[in-house]
Amino acid sequence: MTKKLLLLVFFFLPSLLIAQNRTVSGKVSGDDDNLGIPGASVLVQGTSKGVATDADGNFSLELQAGETVLIISSIGYKTQTIALGDRTSINVVLESDAVSLEEVVVIGYGTVRKSDLTGSVSSIRGKELNTVPSINPMQSLQGKIAGVQVASSSGAPGAGTYVRIRGIGTFNDSSPIYVVDGVILQNIDYLNSADIESMEVLKDASATAIYGARGANGVIIVTTKKGATSGNNFPTINLTVDYSVQQLAKKIDLLNGRDYAIVRNKINPGTFNNIDALPNTDWQDEIFRTAPIQNYQLSIAGGSEKFQYYTSFGYFKQDGIISKSEYERVSLKFNNILHLSKDVRLGSNLSFTPFTQQNTNGNSVFVVYRAWPTITPFQSDGSYSEVPGVGNVLADIDNTNSFNKGLRSVNNIYAEVDFLKGFTFKTSFGADIEYGKSRSYTPIFFVSPQQQNATDDLGKGYSDRIDWLWENTVNYQKEMGVHRVNAVVGYTLQESSSENVFLGAQNLLRPGEDFWYVNIFPNLVSPNFANNSVGSNFSMISYLARANYTYNDRYLFTATFRRDGSSKFTESNRFANFPSLAVGWNAINESFMQNNKTLSNLKVRASWGTIGNEKINYQRQYSLVQNGINALFGQDVLYSGATYGVSGNPNLKWETTEQIDIGIEAGFLNDRLTAEIDYYHRTTSDILIDLPVPGYYGNGDGAVITFNAGEVLNKGFELNLGWNGEAGELKYSVGLVGTTIHNEVLKVSGTGESDEELVGLFNGRQVTRTVPGLPIGSFFGYNVLGVFQNASELNAYPHLSSTEVGDLKFEDVNQDGILNSEDRTNLGSPIPTYLFGLNLNLTYKNFDFTSDFQGQGGNKIFNGKEIIRPDPYNFESRYLNFWNGDGTSNSEPRPSNGGVNYEPSSRYIYDGSFIRLRNISLGCTLPQALVDKGGMKSVRAYVRVTNLFTISKFTGYTPEIVSGNPVLNAIDVATYPVPRIFSVGLNMTF
Amino acid sequence: MKNRKLYQLIWLFIFIPLACEDFLEKPPQGELTQSNFPSTSGDALLATNAVYNTMRESNFSSGLFPLHDIMSDDANKGSNPDDAAASIGPFDRFEHVKTEPAILRWWNTLYKAVRRANVVIERVPTIAMDETLRNRYVGEAKFLRAFFYFDLVRAWGGVPMLTDLEPKVLPRSSKDEIYDLIEEDLLFAITALPEKTQYGSADIGRASKGAAKALLAKVYLFRGNFAGAATYALEVINSGIYNLEPDFDNANSVSGEQGIESVFEVAAFGEEGLENGGNQYGNVQGVRGSPNRGWGFNRPTLSLRNSFEPGDPRLESTVIFLGEVLDGVTIIGDGITPDASIDSHGQAEIESYNQKVWTPGNNVPPSFGHNRRFIRFSDVLLIAAEALNENNNSAEALVHLNRVRQRAREGDNAILADIVTTDKDQLRDIILHERRVELALEGHRFWDLVRTNKAATVLGPLGFISGTHELLPIPQTEIDLSQGALAQNPGWEN
Repeated sequence: MTKKLLLLVFFFLPSLLIAQNRTVSGKVSGDDDNLGIPGASVLVQGTSKGVATDADGNFSLELQAGETVLIISSIGYKTQTIALGDRTSINVVLESDAVSLEEVVVIGYGTVRKSDLTGSVSSIRGKELNTVPSINPMQSLQGKIAGVQVASSSGAPGAGTYVRIRGIGTFNDSSPIYVVDGVILQNIDYLNSADIESMEVLKDASATAIYGARGANGVIIVTTKKGATSGNNFPTINLTVDYSVQQLAKKIDLLNGRDYAIVRNKINPGTFNNIDALPNTDWQDEIFRTAPIQNYQLSIAGGSEKFQYYTSFGYFKQDGIISKSEYERVSLKFNNILHLSKDVRLGSNLSFTPFTQQNTNGNSVFVVYRAWPTITPFQSDGSYSEVPGVGNVLADIDNTNSFNKGLRSVNNIYAEVDFLKGFTFKTSFGADIEYGKSRSYTPIFFVSPQQQNATDDLGKGYSDRIDWLWENTVNYQKEMGVHRVNAVVGYTLQESSSENVFLGAQNLLRPGEDFWYVNIFPNLVSPNFANNSVGSNFSMISYLARANYTYNDRYLFTATFRRDGSSKFTESNRFANFPSLAVGWNAINESFMQNNKTLSNLKVRASWGTIGNEKINYQRQYSLVQNGINALFGQDVLYSGATYGVSGNPNLKWETTEQIDIGIEAGFLNDRLTAEIDYYHRTTSDILIDLPVPGYYGNGDGAVITFNAGEVLNKGFELNLGWNGEAGELKYSVGLVGTTIHNEVLKVSGTGESDEELVGLFNGRQVTRTVPGLPIGSFFGYNVLGVFQNASELNAYPHLSSTEVGDLKFEDVNQDGILNSEDRTNLGSPIPTYLFGLNLNLTYKNFDFTSDFQGQGGNKIFNGKEIIRPDPYNFESRYLNFWNGDGTSNSEPRPSNGGVNYEPSSRYIYDGSFIRLRNISLGCTLPQALVDKGGMKSVRAYVRVTNLFTISKFTGYTPEIVSGNPVLNAIDVATYPVPRIFSVGLNMTF
Repeated sequence: MKNRKLYQLIWLFIFIPLACEDFLEKPPQGELTQSNFPSTSGDALLATNAVYNTMRESNFSSGLFPLHDIMSDDANKGSNPDDAAASIGPFDRFEHVKTEPAILRWWNTLYKAVRRANVVIERVPTIAMDETLRNRYVGEAKFLRAFFYFDLVRAWGGVPMLTDLEPKVLPRSSKDEIYDLIEEDLLFAITALPEKTQYGSADIGRASKGAAKALLAKVYLFRGNFAGAATYALEVINSGIYNLEPDFDNANSVSGEQGIESVFEVAAFGEEGLENGGNQYGNVQGVRGSPNRGWGFNRPTLSLRNSFEPGDPRLESTVIFLGEVLDGVTIIGDGITPDASIDSHGQAEIESYNQKVWTPGNNVPPSFGHNRRFIRFSDVLLIAAEALNENNNSAEALVHLNRVRQRAREGDNAILADIVTTDKDQLRDIILHERRVELALEGHRFWDLVRTNKAATVLGPLGFISGTHELLPIPQTEIDLSQGALAQNPGWEN
């Protein structure tokens, strides 16, 4: 019988051709590391029949008479054509290559040959995804894909990343969606990088339109590993052991005890007397430590003609560089495909991920930043010292007991049926299920009147969420002479529901963990304690269709259509249509190009389409009834009350993004040099935004109503360059990716006038503005000209009323001779104008070396830590150079605990550009002869450093400061630092 | 054959979505929408209670601060000199502008209150329930709506008239149209509401027939309808339901809450937070420093202290002086605030506080428990006296005026002698003066001066400009947001 395998590709075998079979099997490996290449495509020439290799590069394929030539291809390698002759077993070594045109690319609801692709899609394969030790696979993408910004603002174990594709297109959530083996997810934190076969980033409208209302911020498709139908029934076992040590990558340069006393004495003379005898505590040394990461991975993959399986077990444990922040995860993955007959396949992708996370005191890093260095952490009797203003951070951490525990399970089961000629029906049911539990406990303690807890508190939370998705599609593939057609139609249903319950208790019987339970008695739940339950529930129905047509390998057309209906909107706005069109021209295949020796590839493509964003707070459509509006009568008898809350806006609809993309792909010198350039132009309109309405509508003071009003443009270029070469036994490749982003707000409240403004408040003061003509969340404040050196200079220039000599001199921007809030001006954008990544790979004999640089520029950071005053906190080191009389400093003002110098101004704006050596690693593959003797297939040992250095002008822990709120972005408030990580590892295949 | 079954199966899958019409109907979880509330008698009670809740909101008291006392000759801004100097200080000198956040906060909160009343007025009559009770709920809401509009019309003049639940751009109605609505609502309330004594003890404090009559008397007084004012004030006086507290202190203190003198007040519980039953009104004016009872705004002026007749015990009951011992607590005051200084009008100012919001205690929470008295029986007596005098019945006016003075003198016949003059003009001034000292720092003075055309004379030296400062400016934001539908008050255009 015919064996069929479906991994990255759909292949169709005309059922009439079943006759006289023979089996060919073998192994595909790469010349760069001699390891088997998983997922390589093995195609029978002249047909669409083929298989993909298993996790070790093995394959087995049944051939009919006359089928004697195989085409072997894989992403990153040159394609080989092999005449089999009579051989039934072959070993193929592919030559590495940055770009391979016969790659098959996974797009939504199907796959397509890369050469036939009309959209902008970037791929990255599994091997490149294991370059950094992390729980989150997205961290491996940093600096690897043009147009994609992956930022980790926090280094806390288990912390997520912010992913932005082609700029920021909304004032709301601008994260992409993830599609893992067909299941649409909001994040892939649960996923073990080692289980990933490939990731594809869909960027333009042609690629994302098939995801309609969910695709506006980009789509990341993840395909996990599968077993192969290699004739050989012996499974492949892979074991990886990785051990890392993390350390603080950079310390913030703060004043030491003596210098702090000098500055304080300047502000409040006589605060410290003998400044040389003061203690000097480096609070950063007190809380940061080195901490390990352990990562173990075992996978077993294999299969037969009837059954393919991939099973893996992963264990990941990361201790934090601040204590009490451990993250521990176990991941189990089962991917199975059962071939019921030659036409019918059943498959399942199951994953179970239990995790435990301890959350350290979230404020610790900021407390350390402000704590007086003149105080020792402990008093002579061993008790915690009182630290004015911020409290003793060690006591904070000591008394914080906060845990999250949960289980996430993402699964899908599917059936595929081939019917008629070239048709495949697929039905897939996926579910993303998450159960979580949180508990926090604060014991009774006393450090100082400001830092104490008189009654112990217990908080408990329970949450559950089930998202399910049912998809039914019919694919059609047909090749007739010079015509090639690939089409899909289908519909999907999805529903999400969740509930959270929070409970609190006080006065536990005993402080120990055994008593952290909410009992009715004796630990009464006070009505004032957080005690509520929140639920949500929404659903979608979608219809989708796409057709790809290729004429003579030269002219490519794609049309996509999706119609989405969502429960998030009222009936009149419920459904929306998202069309897209794209064309491509493989110029290299034109006859006039055949003799061109320089060019080995040339393709031009263009696309247009509209896509939606439904990641919005849909509750705002409803006019809800507000509860708990109580009243008192009689002798303070409390009566419940309820009445109308803020009016909703039933007219809310999707945010819509229109995107144009033009791309050129070229290869030179037999693809030694490859280049891909894209221009993109995305306009998001109908952005949901909260706007005030007249107060006499009766919604209450400060109430806002959500409208579809804003409009934002993102445009720019993406560049992807690659060079491969070799010198003797040294093989090398260099890759460069770059992106430019022009972000501009076109409208805020609908009219496009420049006085429309979204105000971003930080610490009670405006620090950003979102106005037409500027990027979202541009920094806003006074421009500092210098320091007023003397009374005559002060008198000669406008200044804020409380300004004194030695204070900052703000620019009178409108030159009206008065310095007031009208003189605040644009101080730069939080959004980088360019992103880049530089990747270098070297192979020499058994050694391999990789280094990945990553960086960005054109953006600013607002150092929010510095302006939170007026308590006398510690200062950054620059404050020591304070103005101390005429001519002493024109950049550092006289020290103060508050006042005009702390107005948001250019003083607190830092250049956000940086370049980081994200990853550097050296590996050694043991000689094959030695490995064979040990009964193994391959063994590789490696050492690696992550975040070795970062070059940046910013004084904080990391220049990667991104927040989920685009309107208040890149403001540093001292989050958990991203550590430097040293790792050693061993990878063995049996 | 096998294939055919397969195809049938496939077709089945393809047509499934056509069969799930209501799959996309997902109501919000755990929350009601306005389309189905209020729909039961239980809902009607909840919605009615919610209207009262607004009166404890901090911004309900003229945007958190007692602006109308600060704008009168009775009080200065208070607190220490720098505190809220830029946000509340201007009101003290009539330098406030149309973008003052406090004005917007007050406006927004009054309209929120009006909307809550409209929820009951529009929705409750359609609920199938006990008719008497239903009538009472609507009566309570109409009383409260009138009460809210009375603040709006006195503060801003003609305002947008919101009488239903449909949000729409509205022009300003005329002052008379607003007053007509108030009158109509109160006349309804008088017929629909029970007397205070007819409520059960746990419901005392709800709007009553007496409260509606008293408010209507006051409204007529402001409109110059003295016959109407006299009629309704006398109905309240003659109802026998109300009387003066024997002790003036109790008129505003905790022990007099919902007492015999209380015609309408809003109850509060001594805990911080609206949700816990607190009202910040007392906290904003509470003693600053030691004991720490509040922010110390609305500090009595020299002018107010001097206006009390010699020996009038009400002075001691109105002003907290430093060093005084109240309920066992010694008043030390605020360290930063000078004990004596010169105020922004060049008058001698001493650190002192409003005693009418005092609650026993030495910390913050009880200061949230002051029950703000909106209408006291002595106010009704003085309304009657004033209206009767204007109706040329000064002899009867004296009865009510002297009843107030008699209580004030606490049996000491050497002070606060009965007024005997029947000269209408003289008596008018005497009654106005009596209102000042009897009702000091309770939010009446500024409006009494404007109503009697004495504002220019009395407040002129403090910065009051005739033709402008009688009304507050319409908040600039409202004019911007209403797309030109709202015109600004005279004198405030620029």
